[in-house]
Amino acid sequence: MRELLLVRYGEVHLKGQNRPYFLRTLVNAVRRAVREIGGNVWISDSRIFVSDAQDMDECIRRVTKVFGVHSVCPAIEMEKNDFDAVCAQAVQMMRPLSGTFKVNARRSDKHYPIDSPEINRRVGERVLEALPGLRVDVHSPDHVLSVEIRDKAYLYVRCIPAVNGMPLGTNGRACLLLSGGIDSPVAGFMIAKRGVEICCVHYHSFPYTSERAKEKVVELARILSEYCGKIRLYVVPFTQIQMEIHQKCPDHYTTLIMRRFMMRIAERVARMDGAQALITGESVGQVASQTMEALVCTDEVVGMPVFRPCIGFDKIEIVERAEQIGTYETSSLPYEDCCTIFTPRHPTTHPKPELIRKAEEALDVSALTDAALQGMECIEVGE
Amino acid sequence: MEIYLDNSATTRPFDAVVDAVCACMRDTFYNASAAYRPAVDAERRMRAVRGQIARALGAREDEVVFVSGGTEADNLAILGTAALQRKPMRFLCSAVEHPAVLEAMARVKEMGHDVRTLPVTSRGVLDLDAAEALLSPDTALVSVMQVNNETGAVQPIAALRALMDRLCPGARLHVDGVQGFLRVPVSLSALRVDLYALSAHKIHGPKGVGALVVRKGTRLAPVLLGGGQEGGLRSGTYNTPGIAGMGAAVEAFSALEDPCGRMARLKDALAQRLLAGVPGARINGPLPGEPDAAPHILNVSFPNVRGEVLLHALEGQGIYVSTGSACSSHGRKVSQGLRALGLSPQQAEGAIRFSLSPMNTPQEIERAADAAIAAHAQLSQFRRR
Repeated sequence: MRELLLVRYGEVHLKGQNRPYFLRTLVNAVRRAVREIGGNVWISDSRIFVSDAQDMDECIRRVTKVFGVHSVCPAIEMEKNDFDAVCAQAVQMMRPLSGTFKVNARRSDKHYPIDSPEINRRVGERVLEALPGLRVDVHSPDHVLSVEIRDKAYLYVRCIPAVNGMPLGTNGRACLLLSGGIDSPVAGFMIAKRGVEICCVHYHSFPYTSERAKEKVVELARILSEYCGKIRLYVVPFTQIQMEIHQKCPDHYTTLIMRRFMMRIAERVARMDGAQALITGESVGQVASQTMEALVCTDEVVGMPVFRPCIGFDKIEIVERAEQIGTYETSSLPYEDCCTIFTPRHPTTHPKPELIRKAEEALDVSALTDAALQGMECIEVGE
Repeated sequence: MEIYLDNSATTRPFDAVVDAVCACMRDTFYNASAAYRPAVDAERRMRAVRGQIARALGAREDEVVFVSGGTEADNLAILGTAALQRKPMRFLCSAVEHPAVLEAMARVKEMGHDVRTLPVTSRGVLDLDAAEALLSPDTALVSVMQVNNETGAVQPIAALRALMDRLCPGARLHVDGVQGFLRVPVSLSALRVDLYALSAHKIHGPKGVGALVVRKGTRLAPVLLGGGQEGGLRSGTYNTPGIAGMGAAVEAFSALEDPCGRMARLKDALAQRLLAGVPGARINGPLPGEPDAAPHILNVSFPNVRGEVLLHALEGQGIYVSTGSACSSHGRKVSQGLRALGLSPQQAEGAIRFSLSPMNTPQEIERAADAAIAAHAQLSQFRRR
């Protein structure tokens, strides 16, 4: 008899002929997650098991962050042939609990002499006899005692929800525009959750933004890497571009022209890194550069899909997600990411693409873009 | 090469300090309160440090209480005084004190005492006329810093003491000497300062150690309770490496040739060069050369640029300065101390503090000033329209 972790997966179930591929990827991801704490990972009819981890709590913490995992249950694995012992173990696991319960048996081993309804009945009976404080409620119980009969018997009461989604790497690669703000890490998380590997690009405006601001972005990438594995963070020097825009373009267009540069550079970085799409944290109407017309203007310069998973979220919804992911606190540190000195007082909210294009003619766009990419730094974050 | 002009935030330890700390940790690690011989030696060496500090301040050896630094010293002086009061009393401090004093005073106010603020003039020095109206006979404590950490204004301690003698002779005087110790010589006995806080890491000593000088006969309630060290006033195992390092720092600093004059000349040169090179720049606080200007702190407001941006531009060239005081550079709020001088928000946002050490050279000052002038010329073109 031993304690191990029973891992249940979500959407991978829905896959047809590709299922073995998704499962293999998921098992490998779980394996990577627990490698450092010595976990042994294997799969046995539609359940993933993790045994021998040095620290159960840490193991749970790590596995619940693996995309594709629906929930994890700390379980007791024991010999199934002595049914009396199974019942005794059930009693022991229920002993600290109070309120109502039901037994949920599942007999994968169809040769086992006792069928599921019978297991439910017998285990339930033993628990009730031994623990008069508990009552049965099959409709909405406080606790569900699961008894799974496979090659061995597995018993568990506690199930911890995990992130869900699809196994990382099963859906290609995209490049996240990561500022120091609240929205972009959430956007990156949401796309990564669908199995997309991510790399990040960050624009650094020294001396208008400080080393601390950069450290903050590295920390945000590190938090994301707890879910996404190792992340390459590209830091692009952006001051020169901002200064040129500020000097040569009309005030109310400066923010949008800056956004267009960010998108162009991100696309170049994405192609270099083997990514096929961009991800931004934009939410329609949140600020001047995120109105419908503004988004049209920024999309115009990009030749690959731009994913904006926060697009329909209110700020408060984005904040809630950031809190769940664990990026909110870091995002709220006071260092500036995009300096206010370059923000016009009255940015346009209904830009016309042709006017923006005209304003941009004052700049040598490709030379500025090339120069920024030349000065780019790549930081490997995580693991 | 790095040019370090943030000596009011902290200083680079003297080599002798590093050696003294290492030697103490490696060879004489004993608990100074133990009964055997090596511990007695450790205690004797600590007494020597008390002597050095006392001599530098015109105080007595047995008046020196070792603490963890300036913050603890200020807390002990203020909270230790408040805890002794039987009835609500008046507590006063200047408008430009360090948070270690202001926050302690806020606590005193919560305890039910009448806490008031002494205003400063537009030069950052105590407004003595206003103080006269606030010093009442029921005053228990007046707390004023010797040298302001942001502007380098030297506060008129002697005049304040004279006023107190006349208006509230029962009140005690606490001086936060963290920025003043050794850089603005003072005699505590002559000025009849009751409590004086100092910190080792501002004079090229180690961090985590300092002292509160408590004039003979001044009673205080302890803030930290425990083993009863320092006559019960400050419990906790003696930080012997820190204390050894502090002693080495006092000794090395005192052995420098005219450190204050040297810094004053550097500061004067820096101010002249900046004022000539940056049209519209202004000095916050007393001007260099004025009797109430400390020799090592120069605060300048640069027009049309945020101090933070200028700081990072200088950082890019290995020149380290600060905006306002280091403790407040994280928040976006404008420094309380500079506000008290009546600066506009723009002037306060454009303020840079240069703080010198005797080890800075005229070449460094020249280079730093030129770098600041050039960075300002470039950055001020890009202001928000």
